Amino acid sequence: MMAMNRYLYDGTADGLLSAIAWILEEERDPQNVALAEREDTLFEDGFFIGTDATQAESLFFRLRKQAPDAAYTIYSFMLAEKEGMETSLLHYISLAFTHGDKVNGYLTHSAVQEIVSIAKKAGRELHRMKGLLRFEKLRDGAYLARMEPDHNIIHPLAYHFRTRLRAQHWFLYDVKRRTAARWSNGALQFGSIEQFTTPALSDDEKKVQAMWQTFFKTIAIPDRKNARLQKSNMPMKYWKYLTEKQGVL
Amino acid sequence: MDILAKLQILSGAARYDASCASSGSKREASSCGTGNTSQSGICHSWSDDGRCISLLKILLSNDCLYDCAYCVNRSTNSVERASFTAREVVNLTLDFYRRNYIEGLFLSSAVMQSPDVTMERMVRVVEALRTEEHFGGYIHLKIIPGCSSELVRKAGLYADRISVNIELPSQVSLQRLAPQKHKDSILEPMALIGREITSSLVERKADRRAPRFAPAGQSTQMIIGASPENDFQILRLSQGLYKKMNLKRVYYSAYVPVSADNRLPVLAAPPLLREHRLYQADWLLRFYGFSAEEILSDELPNLDETFDPKTAWALRHPEFFPVEINRADYLTLLRVPGIGVTSAKRIIAARRFSAITPEGMKKIGVVMKRAKYFITSSSGRSFEKHDRTPALIRQQLLLGEGIGAPPPRQLVFPSLYA
Repeated sequence: MMAMNRYLYDGTADGLLSAIAWILEEERDPQNVALAEREDTLFEDGFFIGTDATQAESLFFRLRKQAPDAAYTIYSFMLAEKEGMETSLLHYISLAFTHGDKVNGYLTHSAVQEIVSIAKKAGRELHRMKGLLRFEKLRDGAYLARMEPDHNIIHPLAYHFRTRLRAQHWFLYDVKRRTAARWSNGALQFGSIEQFTTPALSDDEKKVQAMWQTFFKTIAIPDRKNARLQKSNMPMKYWKYLTEKQGVL
Repeated sequence: MDILAKLQILSGAARYDASCASSGSKREASSCGTGNTSQSGICHSWSDDGRCISLLKILLSNDCLYDCAYCVNRSTNSVERASFTAREVVNLTLDFYRRNYIEGLFLSSAVMQSPDVTMERMVRVVEALRTEEHFGGYIHLKIIPGCSSELVRKAGLYADRISVNIELPSQVSLQRLAPQKHKDSILEPMALIGREITSSLVERKADRRAPRFAPAGQSTQMIIGASPENDFQILRLSQGLYKKMNLKRVYYSAYVPVSADNRLPVLAAPPLLREHRLYQADWLLRFYGFSAEEILSDELPNLDETFDPKTAWALRHPEFFPVEINRADYLTLLRVPGIGVTSAKRIIAARRFSAITPEGMKKIGVVMKRAKYFITSSSGRSFEKHDRTPALIRQQLLLGEGIGAPPPRQLVFPSLYA
């Protein structure tokens, strides 16, 4: 067996996709190629591929046309911010161009299995946060929701609320990544926040929160208490920002 | 009485309604209003009993004319009574929705004065939400048996899902425990709703702008363990409701003793395991191609407590197994204990590429714990050999292959994906 060809890229998302585009173009058997992030050590071996944003974009565009499900899988996979998965991603994309959307069924292939399961996990957290996110009304009438998700889901989450809560002015804030989304007057913006100061709440906010807490308590059937089931559906890592779980932790 | 006190009374009174589904309807947000619905449904929280909360589940009033033995709101029970105004419910729904606490509203009510008066007040709430507030979130509206068909029709136009509770699995029990409710007043609106849903779907095929009628379908609920019906009777009833009335979901609610009425059985605890087994059997009816007559019979009228209904069926049908994993069709795969809808679909997708080996099954994510006794593979390495006599499988499933681990008795409440 021939030695595996090894390539390096600069560690950015664009760099990754353009390196994959280059390899798919130049290599006869991409399944036999490895790709990794350049780490600038003396002994690194491999051929460096420079970043080309248009190449990256065109790769994703072509993929979206030929295999929309696979393109969405890659989008979700990227939300996970997983490191060291470049070779699997390369193999997955090369298979996606061969098999189209059917590729996601090829779970007996290690690369497909890895990419799909990470993408699924990210997708699951995105879906979960659509339910678990909690807004608080601020003094100026805007709504703020703080969160600390495992995956970098602020973009797709903001798109969800853009249609759902289009009539109100709101912010999402990812406390861990210090990134924020803002919806106001029909425009959605993303940015990062250097220093966050908790703004004052509107006068009636505590009253509404107390009503939700009351509802939460009384809706449970006392004879059916099941804390384990509650925790498995709603892991404790999300409780920090849940209105109904304030004062519980 | 202030809103907080009312909320406490009227949500506490609503908690025995099992449905919390918010799926099956896709409603775009209007440009000036609040809210949309998501096809897959969204759970917003899980209460202390582990059940999902997706809707603000409340009664409009708990001030009931009727005296149903099993119900906490029966007229002879001495509980505090309260009623919301329409505006109060509308504001509460919007306040909660804007903070993303809920996916929408589930409004039910005790029977005030008459079925028509009650239903009319309930319809007024959802009418205000939809037409005045342009609320696009999910609405589940309970139909009060005995109300006019005009009100049922109006309810279906505003709500995503409507439901009439069948309450008890037989007419005899209904007569005994809920003498003011009649079988016909429950089945008539059900049939009407079924017809309206069908004709709305036909009309919308011709004209996309034709009004939708209860796009998330209709459901019902019955109480388990308050009356003497066996599981076979219950499953056959559900089967009929799915087939003849086109229902989306039948909910089963383990009877929680809320009354010392001597018409009711004395239970140490609600029959949760029985409820769980009924849900599993219900899934077999809806997604696995089983009929009630395959799951149970007159000789075997109750579900096995030890094994889930599919495993119990498999143990009675050794001639069906082992199933060849690389060749069996979808419906055959679905009959293997431990292989569900997801696993069966994945197996079929994966074997297009290459034959599936035992390691492949793990990569696909199939849980082999139960399945391994019932499958075989002709490709390359075969699965570990198992003695396949039902008696031995039964024993190994119960005790594990090592030393005596107790049988799992996990109680999961399947609720969201209707």
